Amino acid sequence: MTDASTAEASAELVAEREALAPEPGFREAFAQVILERPSTRIAFVVVVLFILIAVFAPLLAPHDPLRQSILQINRQPSWDHWLGTDQFGRDVLSRLIHGSQNSLIFGLLSPVFAAFFGTLLGVTAGYMGGIVDRVISRVIDMLMAFPELLLAILIAAALGGSFWNIVVVLTVAFTPGFARVARASTMAVKQEPYVEAAVAAGVSTPRIIFRHIVPNIAAPIVVLMALWSASSIRIEATLSFLGIGTQPPNPSWGNIIRDGLSNMFATQWPIAAGGLAITIVVLAISIIGDSVRDFLDPETNQ
Amino acid sequence: MSDRLLDIRDLSVEFGPVARPLRVVDRVSFSIDAGKTLGIVGESGSGKSMTALSVLRLVPEPPARISGQILFDGRDLLKVPRRNMPAIRGKDIGMIFQEPMASLNPLMSIGDQIAEAIMLHESMSADRRRERVLDLLRLVGLPDPEGRLGAYPDQFSGGMRQRVMAAIAMACNPRLLIADEPTTALDVTIQAQVLEMMLDIRRRFNSAILLITHDLGVVAEVCERVVVMYAGKVVEDADVGSLFANALHPYTQGLLRSVPSLTDTRKRLYQIPGSVPPARTIKAGCPFRPRCPARMDRCAVEMPPLVPYAPGHRAACWAVSKEMAE
Amino acid sequence: MARYLLLRLLDLVPTVFLVLTLVFIAMRILPGDPALAALGANADGGQLEAFRERMGLNDPLWLQYVHFLWDAVRLDFGNSLMSNIPISTLIANNLPHTVYLTIVSVALGLFIGIPLGLYAATQRNKLPDNALRIYSLIGYSVPDFYLGAILLIVFSLNLGWFPINGAGEGFWDGLHHIFLPALSLALLKSAFLGRLTRTSLLEVLGRDYVRTARAKGAREGRVIFRHGLRNAMLPLSTGIGISILATLSGAVAIELVFNRPGIGRLLISAIQERDYPVIQAGVMMFATFVVLVNLLMDIVYIFIDPRIRMKS
Repeated sequence: MTDASTAEASAELVAEREALAPEPGFREAFAQVILERPSTRIAFVVVVLFILIAVFAPLLAPHDPLRQSILQINRQPSWDHWLGTDQFGRDVLSRLIHGSQNSLIFGLLSPVFAAFFGTLLGVTAGYMGGIVDRVISRVIDMLMAFPELLLAILIAAALGGSFWNIVVVLTVAFTPGFARVARASTMAVKQEPYVEAAVAAGVSTPRIIFRHIVPNIAAPIVVLMALWSASSIRIEATLSFLGIGTQPPNPSWGNIIRDGLSNMFATQWPIAAGGLAITIVVLAISIIGDSVRDFLDPETNQ
Repeated sequence: MSDRLLDIRDLSVEFGPVARPLRVVDRVSFSIDAGKTLGIVGESGSGKSMTALSVLRLVPEPPARISGQILFDGRDLLKVPRRNMPAIRGKDIGMIFQEPMASLNPLMSIGDQIAEAIMLHESMSADRRRERVLDLLRLVGLPDPEGRLGAYPDQFSGGMRQRVMAAIAMACNPRLLIADEPTTALDVTIQAQVLEMMLDIRRRFNSAILLITHDLGVVAEVCERVVVMYAGKVVEDADVGSLFANALHPYTQGLLRSVPSLTDTRKRLYQIPGSVPPARTIKAGCPFRPRCPARMDRCAVEMPPLVPYAPGHRAACWAVSKEMAE
Repeated sequence: MARYLLLRLLDLVPTVFLVLTLVFIAMRILPGDPALAALGANADGGQLEAFRERMGLNDPLWLQYVHFLWDAVRLDFGNSLMSNIPISTLIANNLPHTVYLTIVSVALGLFIGIPLGLYAATQRNKLPDNALRIYSLIGYSVPDFYLGAILLIVFSLNLGWFPINGAGEGFWDGLHHIFLPALSLALLKSAFLGRLTRTSLLEVLGRDYVRTARAKGAREGRVIFRHGLRNAMLPLSTGIGISILATLSGAVAIELVFNRPGIGRLLISAIQERDYPVIQAGVMMFATFVVLVNLLMDIVYIFIDPRIRMKS
């Protein structure tokens, strides 16, 4: 075969592959499998419910979450205060409802940022190879040695807590995980005949990356995003509990527990309610994440 | 002969729902006399490995359902309580597996792995056991046995590992040795050595051997009898001489024609068209029909029975029965 | 084997160096004036200047970096800004408590988790297996400080069975004090370890060499422990390493819940008091922990896996 015909054959293969790129029915199959299990359906409803609560928090909260009242401190639950009040006389339920905003926004924002930067790093390392790969991999490996929570605590210790700092902290904590997955997937996809054919056919590098590589590594990245939005919420809660996350008097589920702990002799409702909120949301997201993982990789749990 | 060591009668292995079972072994019957070697030949998917694993009851039940009889020394192994099987495995029946690379525990020294096979069935002092392990390693032809006792499988080549596997299988002088494609994963030269080793084992111990293979050449070299399996069924069985001289079933004939000849290298090798159908797709009739050059209308309707055409030579084929009748 | 270990040790050098550099960058280059942070907004210009001079903050950056590395190598962290106590003393007083808590928690987590995983693996897809699946999901979802707070309220505050805070004195009193904190970390880790044991064991039990063991005549117990669990120790020890580090990070919050002394509480109160030499030392202590645990795991691998041992 001459070079020209090789290139032609390659181009054909590329065209064929591109035509096939969006797999028909994948989305339907996905939705069906995910919603097949009752537990996953319930988890979906729970997550949507919490998102609605966060969005409409100002309308739903019966009281101002920040208003203190010396006359109403440490009340037990009543009709007026369903979950009682804290040591400053603030309504616990209202703080919980407003706290959902802080908890969820980090849960959704950080994994998205981390997925973006991680994929960028991972694809670069995986596609370029050589010294670039060695340097990036080395840094990823080193950061991966740290549990995300510890990494978050250490960075927060250095930065201090403010909204964007927390976003940065969580993003940095999750980026290495995404980068490692993106790198491994890129290296695997790079070996595929259709990518090699595209290279042989002279398709430009950015086109190869965005047209062939990114769509093919998207699945594991999306799973990680689902799984880590759960981790993200949990870690934000821990940071706020430690006093290096969301800063008082702004409520978040973590610092509601923190305030509750220093006041546990008077009332234990804030601790119970805050913790339960975190547990339910993280549990619901994990259940969804588990189903997604089972769908994409049915072997692991057989 | 009455010294029948293994007598398998109507052995079936099924998976899947009871209403729509997936039959991977279908009413298989054959027997092996003490000290003899029988080969089971067939392509992958013919159910030959499953038959071998069933003898040791190594097929997990459930999901599998096994029926029929496996008479070992007159005792039906399918009726032995599950908890009593370990006493038989390795002691009366030894087994060598196909993948020498994966069949040895990577974290145990080979000396320990062989010693374990002895220890599980016979109590003796550690020193005597060590002597026995060394004897076994010499028997299977492993060079420098003393120096290799503490070695790990990773340090061995495929052929060496298969020798270690044989040493494990022979650890308690079993009366039956089952070898499931013992040479398939090996280089051709190593294959010959391993076969030679097995013949040597048979000479010294007078163990019967059940050899599973897809290679008729191997059968010709070691076996006295052959069972040819296709899609879970026995399609022909015969003495080796009879089979090679006068193969009856079209499938067996196809297999024989696809063995490379040493005398005529120019001849293009025969290839049986198509492949073994997945068990799920087999309906009524003879499973070989779609690939068969001699197929008749009757083959689509009814599975031919396995009937004798010569002393000790049976086949299951309508074309053969018609030919014989004429 | 010795050469392998030596290589692993040498491999630590760039890692430690990178960690130190990151800590330096985080503490110096990121926005915020350490002097202002340390002395507060009320400090006047003279005080700030004196502080900068004392802490070497007026030196050029590269010189600060060299000083920083040199101090780190000598484990000389200076004094606390708040209490003026040498930081090495603070660490010496707090470190053992954190190490003790981590070890007891992980041991307890293994003690609960491994039998659960073994049992679930033998009862695959039956009730115990599904129960473990649910347990591990919940274990992943409940924050450990929340579990700690509940245990504290129920067993210390309401029932009075356990002390409310501190680390206690002497072995038995110490055990009495550590039980609830360790349990709050261990229960959740046991969920992870149980699930991991189950998955790893099932994976190993499907291997050909396990079939060989059965063909030899090994009974189920021997197959599971001698061949299954032994080989499952490879993935499991990685999981145990992860657990140790996760427990260590969880210990920060647990020390706060139970008001126990420890590196975590030291770090957190230093952050609140903006005691930045202590923060720096605390961060470095945790980073060292991570590096050491990873090294420890590598050594454990050598003992479990002859293939690594042979590579030399």
